[in-house]
Amino acid sequence: MEESGKIVMVPKTGWNVKAFSQNITKYPHIVYPLSFLFGLLVWELVASQLPNVVFGSPSRVFIHIVNATISGVLPNAFLKSIRHMLLGLGLSLAVAIPLGFLMGRNETVFHMFDPVVNAIFSIPSITFVPFLIIWFGLFFEARVALVFVMSVFDVLVTVAAGARNIEPALMNVGRSFAAGRKDMFFKVMIPASLPFMFTAVRIGTVRCINAMITAELFFAAVNLGEYMEDASAFFDAPAMLAVVFLLAVFGLGAQEGIKWAEARLFPWHVRD
Amino acid sequence: MTKKRKLLLQCTGIFIVLAVWEIIGQHLGELLLAPPSLVVITYVELFLEGEMLIELAKSLRQMLLGYGLACVIGMPLGAVMGRVRIIDALFHPWISMIVVTSVAALLPVFILIFGTGFQLRAAIVFVASIGYIVLTAYHGAVAIESRYIDVSRSFSASKVDQYKKVILPALFPFLITGARLGLVHAIRAMVVAEMFIITGYGGLIFQTGLDISTAPILAYLATIMIVSIGANVILRRIGQKVAPWYEARMRAA
Repeated sequence: MEESGKIVMVPKTGWNVKAFSQNITKYPHIVYPLSFLFGLLVWELVASQLPNVVFGSPSRVFIHIVNATISGVLPNAFLKSIRHMLLGLGLSLAVAIPLGFLMGRNETVFHMFDPVVNAIFSIPSITFVPFLIIWFGLFFEARVALVFVMSVFDVLVTVAAGARNIEPALMNVGRSFAAGRKDMFFKVMIPASLPFMFTAVRIGTVRCINAMITAELFFAAVNLGEYMEDASAFFDAPAMLAVVFLLAVFGLGAQEGIKWAEARLFPWHVRD
Repeated sequence: MTKKRKLLLQCTGIFIVLAVWEIIGQHLGELLLAPPSLVVITYVELFLEGEMLIELAKSLRQMLLGYGLACVIGMPLGAVMGRVRIIDALFHPWISMIVVTSVAALLPVFILIFGTGFQLRAAIVFVASIGYIVLTAYHGAVAIESRYIDVSRSFSASKVDQYKKVILPALFPFLITGARLGLVHAIRAMVVAEMFIITGYGGLIFQTGLDISTAPILAYLATIMIVSIGANVILRRIGQKVAPWYEARMRAA
């Protein structure tokens, strides 16, 4: 952090492992895939000790993914699943971002609705499933609704917190230069809020991917949900793990992709 | 803004939401959305009946097992990950993966492995909460400023003292925050699992959902909300009591 912190370092004595580990971890793009492979190896070893019905080994999961991809079943189910996820995500962003902004920037609105939002936020959103069944049935509309419900409060809370914490100094600079309301909004507020907007979109997207499969398992089982239920009926653990694995990779990919875009677009805002 | 005005606004907000809900509820009927006046009556009935609280206590006990394990394993793991790079390199990709994995998608897999008994719920809660606990502890350990450690070295503190008097106190706010985050996800996971296999408290919610009135579900939701908020308040109080610098540290972070 400060320069002075570096000068007073006590010289390191002995322990080559430490030096080694510090050298090796300078290259995250090499180390992370390596430890990923290492984890897969452990998983393979554990799985080989267990019966196949219970737990699939990575090699079997991999074979399953390849086969199901070639036959087109899995990609097809995935593409169909993504439709309700994207629609739900779009709806929840469209609703939560303006509302979050309003809550974050207006003291009165914030104090009025903060307790209510927090109260609803603390209810596990899966419990809305019975309502969604009553209101929307068991199919596409219900799935979109669940994706919406599961992500909208996460986005709302993130945007509200971000908008509330916009540096007052930035606003003061705008005011000192006698910026009008329009300029204040477009030239100060919007650029200042882009970082937490991205955070909100990132959190919302991960939640939506999570909700996507939840909806397919809790309402009528279709697409990936159906794929998993069929696999579970046949005790096909590798098939189920394949879906879980692909979903996790998809979620992680979306998350890192948005982070990457953020770092590219506003390098001055990225911490870490 | 004065405290009094803030409280007034908060009460107004709650009142407005309840009023709107009451009007919509009266309009739609209890089949679609029971109004709050009806929910309160149903709540008292259910409360006196006692089944709600008994089921809840059973479910929470199983949840606490998984959550407790996640804390016991997750906190030291996160702290070590923040201080030792090779451990971080080994675990970080997998922890990130666990965090984004959907609890619902894991359920069918876990049912094959654990059956539908209490191990299932404990395991699901464990997996759902450990990622957040580890990552928060990790960020806390990374954020320990090296000058604090340099100071302890200058005073020739032993390794044990360094841990006890510098690292742990600096880490503490993050451990509490991780525990609070983990708890939210633990409760979510518990309900998801129970609704999926229709047992316990979550099962109660799902089953009554197919009844003729929505008032009982809303009553169950109210209880889970109270539990969730209450647990969070208790954890925050503990944080303030054990480490008075907790609030200030997390506000700065």
